[in-house]
Amino acid sequence: MPRVFITGLGFITSIGNDAASVTQSLRELRHGMVRYAPFERDEIPVKVAAPVRDFSTEGDEPEDWKTPERYRLRRDQLRSLSPNALYASCAMQQAVEDARLEPSDISNDDTGLYAASCGSPGMLSRILNRIHAQGVMRSPALGIVSSIAGTVQFNLVANYKIKGASTGFASACASSAHALGFAHDEIVLGRQKRMFVVGAEDGNLETILPFASMRALSPNPDPATASRPFDRQRDGFVGTGGATVLVLENEEEILRRGVTPYAEVLGWGQASDGHNVAISHPEGAGLRTAMLHALRTAKVGPADIDYVNAHATSTPIGDASECKALRAVLGEHASRVALSSTKALTGHGCSLAGAMESGFCALALRDGFMPGSAHITELDLICEGLNIIRQTHATAPGVVLNNSSGFGGANVCIVLKRPR
Amino acid sequence: MNPDPATFSPEAETQLRESLRRCSPETVMAAVAYRRTRDPQCLPALIGGVFERYIEPEIRPKLASANRDDLRVIEDLGIDSLTLMEIVMLLEEAGGLTIANDELRQLRTLGDIRTFVDCRVRGLPYSPPARLDHEAVLAAMPVQPPFLFIDEAVISKTSISATYRITGEEVFLQGHFKGNPVMPGSLMLEALGQLGVLYLVSGQLDDANHKVDSGSLLFTSADGVRCHRVCRPGDTLSLRLKPKRIKAPIIVFEGDVRVGSDKAVGAEEITLTFGFKETPPTA
Repeated sequence: MPRVFITGLGFITSIGNDAASVTQSLRELRHGMVRYAPFERDEIPVKVAAPVRDFSTEGDEPEDWKTPERYRLRRDQLRSLSPNALYASCAMQQAVEDARLEPSDISNDDTGLYAASCGSPGMLSRILNRIHAQGVMRSPALGIVSSIAGTVQFNLVANYKIKGASTGFASACASSAHALGFAHDEIVLGRQKRMFVVGAEDGNLETILPFASMRALSPNPDPATASRPFDRQRDGFVGTGGATVLVLENEEEILRRGVTPYAEVLGWGQASDGHNVAISHPEGAGLRTAMLHALRTAKVGPADIDYVNAHATSTPIGDASECKALRAVLGEHASRVALSSTKALTGHGCSLAGAMESGFCALALRDGFMPGSAHITELDLICEGLNIIRQTHATAPGVVLNNSSGFGGANVCIVLKRPR
Repeated sequence: MNPDPATFSPEAETQLRESLRRCSPETVMAAVAYRRTRDPQCLPALIGGVFERYIEPEIRPKLASANRDDLRVIEDLGIDSLTLMEIVMLLEEAGGLTIANDELRQLRTLGDIRTFVDCRVRGLPYSPPARLDHEAVLAAMPVQPPFLFIDEAVISKTSISATYRITGEEVFLQGHFKGNPVMPGSLMLEALGQLGVLYLVSGQLDDANHKVDSGSLLFTSADGVRCHRVCRPGDTLSLRLKPKRIKAPIIVFEGDVRVGSDKAVGAEEITLTFGFKETPPTA
């Protein structure tokens, strides 16, 4: 059965716009939260967000936006982008350079791309406003391409002339973990030799604030403590955006190209809570089953696991469910396996989360560290029996899990391993 | 359909300026002037300016050329159909008119678009240029191979253009020159003359009672002819003529031959004579 490796990474995140600065933020526990200017109005009960730096996507049209100098996009590429597709384009450029891929490695029948974003509610609302105010035929010709879910793969597949499998995933906060899992399967089944996996979100007022009325966002106005998974005082998540791209390749391609992988994708699992549209199962039933499936397909047991990058978003209910699921799966190893949620640093980026955090795990496996769980003042009792590391450990993990959970009770667990 | 100058409010002007904010100041001026006066003279500057805004910077200098109207939107300006849609949308917004999808598909050159918009704002019907494939050219022309130098042609009342690919199989290339096949300049002039014939026999001057008699056509003179470039097998000649003066039995064209963007031949005047054959009205 073909083995699957991660050979390239690209990051546009609230804690860094390349692998080096992301690694430094993870090691030093530097967070990406700010008092977010668009939330300053009095009636908005949420003040903190974790926006992407060095970009501006304020104007109505992509030609008005500002992008760091190293990314050059032509007008005919810009016009169909949403902010999340722009971030994905930049992360894609990094990942291609990082994996040392030639155009012929990218554009062929054996290379595909799976992506996830919620689309762009901001772009869609601008288009609808224009339709109402100025007429149906006066809305941007490519507005639909830029705004609906799928915008990431529409744009990247066209711009990179990708000819293999391509589609998008829509399981909210588990989306890009699903993309990674199914991309892994494409390679294992021998259908593709190489897959790009992309998670991206706008991370602006329009993507974040709709979570406010369900009380999912932290009302804490202090950027230093608003996101604190596993803390007794946690009161909701902090929204973020950006993009992460992972390059997956089979062993044959790695040997042919002579590249050193970050990590091996050993396997993955998924399961659903079958419980509630938005609230996680109180015992973490679906996540537990997802982890068990993942371990079985990866042919590893709890004894092999060194680190878990938790989904834990800093909501009271979600973190508690995950802790229960982890205790059930890890059993006697629960008190040994290092556990953290990097969402304390990045915030929660919905469709971005799975790909971004698996990307973090790949950095940890290559560079030999385990990122700490920041901002915990008082550990919640729900964490009893779990080894939540509050500082980054400079020890190299061998096998790591990355959990993701989304609306509808969708749960995904990815298993990664340090190559040899 | 046409915007009424009386209803061009300050708010509408503000919105127009906002829509055109990436266009040159001249374009904005032309748009504002057009909306105030509905003077079709403003349209070339408006249309050119809207195109310029969507064209990649390295291609923009082409718009300054004298043959601007002949520039093909897709092939010469690198504009795909989606960009053309964006251009049309902005033109619609700036000019206060609507262009339907099937009308859009007929517009191949900047000249087509200018003529189309011009007809639209004057309330005249627009008929797209006729496109003749090689079969249609053979059927229409009194000249035939091996002495026919037109492969395909596009004809409108105001211009005719055609292509001819020098295959290398032409018999005269065996001797012109010895071991060095070059299309003779005199035959490129002949090709332009043939294009004039095709213009005349394609019915551009015909009316209900008069049809140009294809047996009556003769070459009369050529003035101000310059050859600029050697043309060889593999080159595709782009031939173009525009009628300058028509007064039966004489028609005077100006024209040129290009290969890609290189000018190969220019002719200030090519004159043909023609006659009509009476076509009595069928009772």
